[in-house]
Amino acid sequence: MMPVLQIGPIALPMPALIVILGIWLGLALAERFAARNRLTGDYIFNLALTGLVAGLVAARLGYVLRYPYAFSENYLDVFSRNLGLFDTQTGFVVGLIVSAIYAQRKQISLKATLDALTPAFAVFSIALSLSHIASGDAYGSPATLPWSIQLWGAQRHPSQIYETLAGIAILGYLWPSHKHLATLKPGEYFLKFVIMNSAARLFLEAFRGDSAVTLGGYRAAQIISWLILAVCLYAIKRLRTTQGPP
Amino acid sequence: MPCYIDDHQSLEATLRYNIHSNITAIFILIAGVGWIWLSKAFPDDLSVDGKIAPRAGFLAPDFSLLDRDSNQITLSELRGRPVIINLWASWCIPCREEMPALEQVHQAYKDQGLIVLAVNATNQDNQQAAIRFSNNLGLTFPILFDTQGSVSQAYRLQSLPTTYFVDQNGIIQEVVVGGPMAEALLRVRVEALLEDAHP
Repeated sequence: MMPVLQIGPIALPMPALIVILGIWLGLALAERFAARNRLTGDYIFNLALTGLVAGLVAARLGYVLRYPYAFSENYLDVFSRNLGLFDTQTGFVVGLIVSAIYAQRKQISLKATLDALTPAFAVFSIALSLSHIASGDAYGSPATLPWSIQLWGAQRHPSQIYETLAGIAILGYLWPSHKHLATLKPGEYFLKFVIMNSAARLFLEAFRGDSAVTLGGYRAAQIISWLILAVCLYAIKRLRTTQGPP
Repeated sequence: MPCYIDDHQSLEATLRYNIHSNITAIFILIAGVGWIWLSKAFPDDLSVDGKIAPRAGFLAPDFSLLDRDSNQITLSELRGRPVIINLWASWCIPCREEMPALEQVHQAYKDQGLIVLAVNATNQDNQQAAIRFSNNLGLTFPILFDTQGSVSQAYRLQSLPTTYFVDQNGIIQEVVVGGPMAEALLRVRVEALLEDAHP
């Protein structure tokens, strides 16, 4: 665990740094293989930048609208650098919508865009797991195993390491230069990633010590992952049976 | 005729593939349901009741320190009231920058029960410099002196400032590493703590 990297007087928040590095590396990989989907690296970069900027602005505005009283004493706090003053859900949704509008204006299909961005999603997923290792978030349930780790006052499953390994395995299987991926139909590459990611989350959530639970002790993330898995398995089957050759 | 035989074989292969992929998908989904049922969370898996750790969801490590007037303040004796614990040092620029916001929030919410404890990391600071700084700014909340570094150690302090928002039950609700914190951020967190305390 290393939540902060102290370099002289500067304290760098490691989890946030790892996530930013993940976005950058992921986009670099997506740009490199964009041509496979008949897209350009510039298009991928501009799409991501547009979505990111729109998402950040919307996240801050969403927060201000949600808690207007907090800014009534000091209006300049609207421009604060505090990461805690963002409404991430609003930012995520607006970022996605703006990116979709950008893609539509460029007359590029959603399937091709999602396929091109899949390597970025896979790298980002690994970066997120590594950020959990740095922060100690997403910690495991208590366990006395030879590979248990001491964290937050107990011996626990190293759930952050499990999710990192799963992310690496998924990226390894879906590495964009693999030949077996060349025969996929538009949208299939992205769906494969979502299926594998949902299956991994469904399996690994069982070892988490911070799960949100529903009635009866069922873990909410597993139920959501199962639903996503079911929808994507249906979608990939439809894609394979109803479309023409790739 | 050969072309009909080929078409028939191709159709048969497609059908076989469809049946095979359907069976695989159904198997995956049934296995998923089984795994969800098998891995239901037991209370021991997720409970952090009584566990002490300097992170959100856990009980805040207890401490007793002296303030500027040599009064001893013990965290556990403040149960029932929301507490902000701010670890700081007088040489730390973001710590100095966020103090006015902490004072504003202290003034705005102290009558509703909020306690602000500014724990000076005295083992890596100068006590006189810390007192001078707090007097210059007219800070009215308790300034505590962690002369031995025991609080820094218990809270696994990695960076200054670090702020802990503790609810009325002594549970840490949020940790903010680094600063300066905006007043807006403090107000939102304090309102949430007070809402929990007086729903």
